[in-house]
Amino acid sequence: MKKVLSSRNTGLILVLVILLILAKILTPGLFSTYMIINTLQNNAIYALLAVGEFVIILTGGIDISIASQLAFVGIITTKLSCDNPGVPGIVFFLLAIVLGALCGALNGFLVGYLHMVPMICTLGTMYIFRGLAFVVSGGEWWFAAKYVQSYRWWAIGKIAGIPMLIWWTVIIMIVIGLFLGYTAPGRRIYAIGTSRESSAVAGIKEPTVTFYAYIICGVLAGLAGMLNTANYAIGYYGMAEGFEMTAIAICVLGGTAITGGKGRMDGVAIGVIIMAVINSFISMIPGMSVWQKALQGAIIIVAVAINYFTERSAAKRALKERGALI
Amino acid sequence: MPGSNYDRDLTVKEGFVLSKFLVKWEMILVYILVFINVILAVFRHDLYFQSGTIQSIINAGLDVSPLVLGMVFILLLGDIDVSVAAQMILGGMVTGLMMDAGIPWIIAVICGILICMVCGAFNGFCVAFLKMPAVITTISTSMLYRGIVEIVLGENSLKNFPKWYNKIGWSNIGPIPLSMILFLIMGLIFCFILHRTTFGRKVYIVGNNPTCATYSGISVTRVKMEVFILMGFMAGIGSIFFIGRMGGGVSSSMGTGYEMTAIACAVLGGVSTNGGKGKMYGPIIATFIMAFLTYTLGLLGVDPNSKKIFTGVILIITILISTVNKQMIKDFKLRTRYHNNKNIEALNDRTAEQIKELKQQLKAGKGDAASVNAKIAALKKECAEKSAQLWEEQKADAQKAKERYAK
Amino acid sequence: MSDYILELKDVVKTFGGVRALNGVHFQLKKGEIHALMGENGAGKSTFIKVIIGVHQPDSGTMLLEGERVTFRNTADSAKEGIAAIYQHVTSFPDLTVTENIFMGQEIKNKFGFYDWGAMRKRAKELIEPLSKEIDVNKPMGTLSVAAQQLVEIAKALSRDARILIMDEPTASLTRNECLQLYRIAKDLRDKGVSIIFITHRFEDMYELASRVTVFRDSTYVGTWDVDGITNQALVKAMVGRELTAMYPEKTAKIGDVILEVNDISKEGYFKNVSFNVRRGEILALTGLVGAGRTEVCQNIYGIMTPDTGSIRLEGKEVHIKSPIDALKLGIGLLPENRQTEGLVNELPIYQNVSSATMNQFVKGGQLDVNAEMENAIQLCKKIQLKANDITAPPSSLSGGNQQKVVVAKMLSSEQKVLIMDEPTKGIDVGAKYSIYEIMNELACRGYAIIMVSSEMPEVLGVADRIVVMKGGRVTAEFDDVKSTTQEMILEASLKERRETA
Repeated sequence: MKKVLSSRNTGLILVLVILLILAKILTPGLFSTYMIINTLQNNAIYALLAVGEFVIILTGGIDISIASQLAFVGIITTKLSCDNPGVPGIVFFLLAIVLGALCGALNGFLVGYLHMVPMICTLGTMYIFRGLAFVVSGGEWWFAAKYVQSYRWWAIGKIAGIPMLIWWTVIIMIVIGLFLGYTAPGRRIYAIGTSRESSAVAGIKEPTVTFYAYIICGVLAGLAGMLNTANYAIGYYGMAEGFEMTAIAICVLGGTAITGGKGRMDGVAIGVIIMAVINSFISMIPGMSVWQKALQGAIIIVAVAINYFTERSAAKRALKERGALI
Repeated sequence: MPGSNYDRDLTVKEGFVLSKFLVKWEMILVYILVFINVILAVFRHDLYFQSGTIQSIINAGLDVSPLVLGMVFILLLGDIDVSVAAQMILGGMVTGLMMDAGIPWIIAVICGILICMVCGAFNGFCVAFLKMPAVITTISTSMLYRGIVEIVLGENSLKNFPKWYNKIGWSNIGPIPLSMILFLIMGLIFCFILHRTTFGRKVYIVGNNPTCATYSGISVTRVKMEVFILMGFMAGIGSIFFIGRMGGGVSSSMGTGYEMTAIACAVLGGVSTNGGKGKMYGPIIATFIMAFLTYTLGLLGVDPNSKKIFTGVILIITILISTVNKQMIKDFKLRTRYHNNKNIEALNDRTAEQIKELKQQLKAGKGDAASVNAKIAALKKECAEKSAQLWEEQKADAQKAKERYAK
Repeated sequence: MSDYILELKDVVKTFGGVRALNGVHFQLKKGEIHALMGENGAGKSTFIKVIIGVHQPDSGTMLLEGERVTFRNTADSAKEGIAAIYQHVTSFPDLTVTENIFMGQEIKNKFGFYDWGAMRKRAKELIEPLSKEIDVNKPMGTLSVAAQQLVEIAKALSRDARILIMDEPTASLTRNECLQLYRIAKDLRDKGVSIIFITHRFEDMYELASRVTVFRDSTYVGTWDVDGITNQALVKAMVGRELTAMYPEKTAKIGDVILEVNDISKEGYFKNVSFNVRRGEILALTGLVGAGRTEVCQNIYGIMTPDTGSIRLEGKEVHIKSPIDALKLGIGLLPENRQTEGLVNELPIYQNVSSATMNQFVKGGQLDVNAEMENAIQLCKKIQLKANDITAPPSSLSGGNQQKVVVAKMLSSEQKVLIMDEPTKGIDVGAKYSIYEIMNELACRGYAIIMVSSEMPEVLGVADRIVVMKGGRVTAEFDDVKSTTQEMILEASLKERRETA
């Protein structure tokens, strides 16, 4: 019982419950099935990006180019699908995966094999992908009228009454969760994040692990790009600007240590839901939309600070236990 | 080595060496700057030699310059600050609001700078005292500061700024742009602070080895705080440059990406993002390079959005150049030439050293050329033979291992 | 078939011009416990890294059951059944005990997924005989050092190792834990596992080993049967010279007490530590690694502040909150780890020397670099630093000369009390002697010196008085060094704490 109470997730769920009660009071009708599905659908893209970012943060890195990757891949699939309306949607779905993997491979190569600092490297590629998105689009905007239904189905089509976008998000979270928790490559990602030195002694090839971690992140960003355009039926080179911050915010909220090696997929899931609730709050209360950025910024700072203090108290506890031996 | 151990001459013997000076990173930056100018002068001589072109290039590129100067200090600490553009806008907003309220401009400007320093202090507090990673801190404070501007201004923009703001962005004194004069003066002050004062020295020590700094009686938290506040101050100055260049207006969406340009200039100038490495001169030259490059790309018909690709590529390449070091070359050689066999690597390294020694002896006039060359050839041959033998052995070992663990 | 399961011949390993191993030999019989002994920096740690494939030797051969082998990495050696338990535990602190045990050889189900249930069960089976208190689901970082060591042993056991290397496993264990470890090691030996047991402690060797090999200054000295060599002969083999000649004559006059440490405690590190030191005196603070000596020094110097107790300097109680305070009061510290704590490797020597005292050189608002260099040159000449010039970075110097730079840094300001934490760790004999000379000279000038050292000959040769710590407490104080022996110190540093009711 004590363990459950002291765990971070319990605290997060508590916050969530309080938020939900507040929401219920402020906006009745929030818990209708329609509203829940709507909220989840609107935040699924954040969730996809957050999972990708989560993998990277676990390695001890950071990827701030994911939103640009999203735009780049999204523009390509949009353009191709609008130009070739006859081609089935699955082609673009797979194309998004491949293109995303390529973007991720570039980051992974630079960070993993050439040992660039992740922040600076992805800063550079962030520029590059965004610029490429513009070049590919030629400055053009795509609106709902141009989109093909078979393309859009991959996000808004429904199975069992639930939009595909939500299905994808749930499936990906489960798959990546299993991958990280139950497979050797997944555990290696944790290992290099917690101690590079020990990894080297244990014979783990850090560059390779970093490389495929960035590829996973790229695939998710690429998918998010295709699904984002399919979901909203809008595509332009500047889309999703700032989404990387939201993704990082979700990870940090979910208890992922920014130094790497520590964090769980269920935490990320809770982080997504909290972020979704906050976002729907903001959108429901008139005049609140300008608060979004400031609020998100404040949330990350507070979340990191909380992580810091919980960690410090854990370290103190460990010292106390050791002190008992002396 | 001649002389006894007891009286060793430790004074600096090597004075100014031209050949070394000419290949310094700062000098290479100068060459790049000259090269870009030559390209411009040759291909667009009609424009280039028109009066006012160069001035306008410099004026257009220097609105980011105050941020560069501050960013060098931040990067030298091994930290990063991506909230500078947001700070700049927030400071500009405060000045603008106070001007709207009819407060004398001097107070408004000072308050604008002060608010930036408070922002910097908050970043510094999170990084230095709470030990939060600088990246995350400043990403989120960047959202926070810009968010505050959004809350206050919404879609509106402020137009009421002191008249002299515009002069900084647009006017020349004689043939020289005012912004350039101001930038060079600030640059000189920053060079002095970094290279001539104890504060600058402390920044280097903290950036290189914070633990050692603590043991040497340097307060790491204090130095970090001071640098982040300095960065805030420069963001405040930057808001004057920026708003002046923008023609005296500020709104919440302005200035995005300026933090990245500032970082790119500093890194291009040879400042390592790992901290502790780099000088002030490089980034100053790099700022000019960036200005000319942006303009050149513009002339070539590259639109501002595609320019991002170039900025990104330049950033990555410059960092790669600075990170490709001896160790990486060694690793690469080990992987490709030595078949991942460290025995072969060690053998080759030893032979190379022996050969070097022999060559040095030859230079010093010991031994005759023929016999030494013969020796070198013999060494090389022996090394090659032995390497091949080791490689064979390794292959045999690997084969054996494979068989042994076939199951 | 060879008699030896593992044999190394003429192994040479250099790191950037420094010979870490200079033609060493080693032979391990099947099913024996073989002690490997030597002073700090004798090359033992490098040696085991060569055996398990972290480093590859520059030259020399390694035979496994008479067959030549090359290990390109740790995975290769693991396949051959060689496992190592390192001195500095190389674990993954954020991962659970279970995962640490199975890192690299996880149990998977038929779909290729980890079978956490089976791993936890197996981990429990492995850990239980070693310790009942370790929870296999806890992150490794939350365990004590001793418990982590046990996990490392469990990890080695899980691999069915034929050859087990233990690098100073007893250094941070209590007496009971040591006994437990002995039992485990003997069990393993009886099961046919060959063990290389690296240790500083004679007790370990007598208890366990049948043969002992000694390294000194990166070279091989010899191998003996444990029954066939006397203690003195072994010490001589390890130290390599008569103790007396190694240390300069002491000439300082000892004055009155200058620093008094009264009953200071710091949770998790040490408890109720008291001692004092006089002007002109060299006080040795000794004990095994992990006894809390470094932490005591850090608390005096203000890196940490003690929870309780007081420190008095020249009779006045002082509150030292940071190294800045300590330096102002005239307390200097030569840190244990010169690479991370003492030097800025990338900056020129003169900037390193003046890093604690740059304010002296400020003239008209700016640093007077010439005066700074001149001062550094004076100091470096005094300590006979061997360097190209004063602007060379410390990374270009040998270990001993790097340490001299740190010493020069300490000398650049006047102090009253000097704490030197392992001042001669990992440096060669010549450099050691000159550091002893400097200590002596400082003592003559009225400095009080606290020297932390694990090397007993050094402690006996240099100190005027000896304080021994064990497990965070002071266990003995020897005022008369001449009548103190290594055995007496050893006994005190192994002494079990009397349970205070």
